[in-house]
Amino acid sequence: MPMLYEIEGKQLFKENGIPVPKFKAYDGIESIKAFVEELGSDIMMAKAQALSGGRGKAGLIQKVSSSEAEEYIQSILGRDHQGKPVEIVMLEEPMEIVNEYYLSVMLDNASGKYLVLASSRGGVDIEEVAEKYPDEIFKEYFSAFVEPQSYMFIEIGKNLGFKAKTLTSFSNIMKNMFIMAQQRDLTLIEINPLILTPDNKIIAADSKVVIDGNADFRQLDVASLKSQKDRHTDLEFEADQAGISYVQLEGEIGIISGGAGLAMATCDLLEFYGSSPANFLDVGGGADETKIEKSLEILSRQEIKGIFINFFAGITRCDDVAQGIINASKKFEIKVPMVIRLVGTNDDIGIQMLEENGINAYGKMEPAAKRIVELVKGGN
Amino acid sequence: MAILLDEKTKVIVQGITGKQGTFHARSMIDYRTKVVAGVTPGKGGQEHLGVPVYDSMKEAVEATQANASVIFIPARFAYSAALEAIDAGIKLLTVITEGVPVKDTAKIKQKAMMNDVIMIGPNCPGLITPEESKIGIIPGEICSKGNVGIVSRSGTLTYEIIQNLTINGLGQSTCVGLGGDPVKGIGFNECLTMFENDPQTKQIVLVGEIGGTGEQQAADLVKKEISKPVYAFIAGQTAPPGKQMGHAGAIVHGKSGTAKEKMRILSEVGITTVKTPSEIPTYILDTN
Repeated sequence: MPMLYEIEGKQLFKENGIPVPKFKAYDGIESIKAFVEELGSDIMMAKAQALSGGRGKAGLIQKVSSSEAEEYIQSILGRDHQGKPVEIVMLEEPMEIVNEYYLSVMLDNASGKYLVLASSRGGVDIEEVAEKYPDEIFKEYFSAFVEPQSYMFIEIGKNLGFKAKTLTSFSNIMKNMFIMAQQRDLTLIEINPLILTPDNKIIAADSKVVIDGNADFRQLDVASLKSQKDRHTDLEFEADQAGISYVQLEGEIGIISGGAGLAMATCDLLEFYGSSPANFLDVGGGADETKIEKSLEILSRQEIKGIFINFFAGITRCDDVAQGIINASKKFEIKVPMVIRLVGTNDDIGIQMLEENGINAYGKMEPAAKRIVELVKGGN
Repeated sequence: MAILLDEKTKVIVQGITGKQGTFHARSMIDYRTKVVAGVTPGKGGQEHLGVPVYDSMKEAVEATQANASVIFIPARFAYSAALEAIDAGIKLLTVITEGVPVKDTAKIKQKAMMNDVIMIGPNCPGLITPEESKIGIIPGEICSKGNVGIVSRSGTLTYEIIQNLTINGLGQSTCVGLGGDPVKGIGFNECLTMFENDPQTKQIVLVGEIGGTGEQQAADLVKKEISKPVYAFIAGQTAPPGKQMGHAGAIVHGKSGTAKEKMRILSEVGITTVKTPSEIPTYILDTN
């Protein structure tokens, strides 16, 4: 799930006509003086930027005075939050709150339509609201082809209790949010809370934005944001750049497979036979020899006790897979036992190529999985 | 009988002159699929793999009366190709392409529904009615004609299961690979209903994955409307949690299920759930 940092989301909000508090990013080097002057207030919010939740509970969001701010920023920079160090702290204008709302636009998987969810019970865990007050969450589906207009959101705004000037502000914000989701290929924009201030302004106090990785080719600026690099480990990032879907896990045996389902089933099978997967790796459909080679290079840099390559090739071709394995075994020192299972398109050619290079291949997945587990566990 | 396609289905290959298009169109033709035309803009009038190539879907459909098309076109052009197929009157649209932006898929899906088009994919292996016809990339040689209907969210894992069935003497009526993207054309339920109504199909195999809620919806349908025995395998039993679409997703569909949770829900409605793909034929043979 490719998520953006809160501050990246808010920058997009700002560019797309969704009001946000004044904010600025700090990585610990610059002085905060200029921002304090711009704010005209001595109190501000300091929020560590992280891709996983629970920042509040971890003490990574705090109200600070301008004299404490720099010290506080230094104290949380580099601190670990769910396996990742904090690298950016956002300083933000504090907001006075009359009411908090929940608002989201998402591309709904089941229907393939846009879905707007809104509630006047924002600022808390929305799942809890859904359970306790299901009648106070308003839902509306919109065609994937819709051209959002303000009028479409008047009814939702009234349901939330907005009227007069706040009603028009709300429907405009909603429209802008919707257009932003469409134009930037976002699969989710969630604002929780959206706040109403004492002077009747509606402001997005938080942002949660999920992008569609498949649209990276036409959303280059969003795809190159810092969050998109940070959400991966270095190896995962490298794999991602090569078009390989790779997730580091904790187990013993490195796997390479084609197709997400088979790659998952491969991991499952290792566990079934008493070992565990060190990673999930799907080379994708139609992978060529360079992708296979790259996959083995990635595994060669991970701490593993064995390698299990499992292909049932459809759009991929076994001769390409075999060539990649042969290339890699010449280039990288593979010190751990390796078991290969190769079936499908051009498997006769692929198996012959491997045999000519002294590598055996299995035809069935279960015996192959069993074999690699035996080898790793010290059998013969 | 079988479902969705048979030996009479006339198929157009969109992107027939590309590398993938050529490779898999040839394999479809070798399987005796009625590939009546190919479409590649700018290459109209040529012949490729013994099949006439047209510049547009409209020309190809007018000339051949084809009712199905399959798309082997890079992700950024797949949207336009799919709309073109629907506008040309195609009724069975299969999108093999991987990496189509979700927004594009959502629009194709909606347009397909408005035009009574059955859309399969994207990011899918397609479908095959053994010994009659195949659309897409499922290797024909692992299939055999018979009575097991297969519907799957996975690609390669489906081949695994088909082959296990074939080796054990269990042929298939039709195998449908729905595709692995979050938004896709038809789902489990449309296929389950078609299999239920197909006299050739005697057992149904459902192959699911973690994430999404298609399996849970399938369980609801099986409980109410499916009388034939259903067997299921869910991939991702060891996958780490966290592939959830934020809180908004959780509200709409309930907590999206882990493999264990899905297997539990499927078992509750009488579906036989198995731990490894090779157990499916064993269970089918034991219970029939």
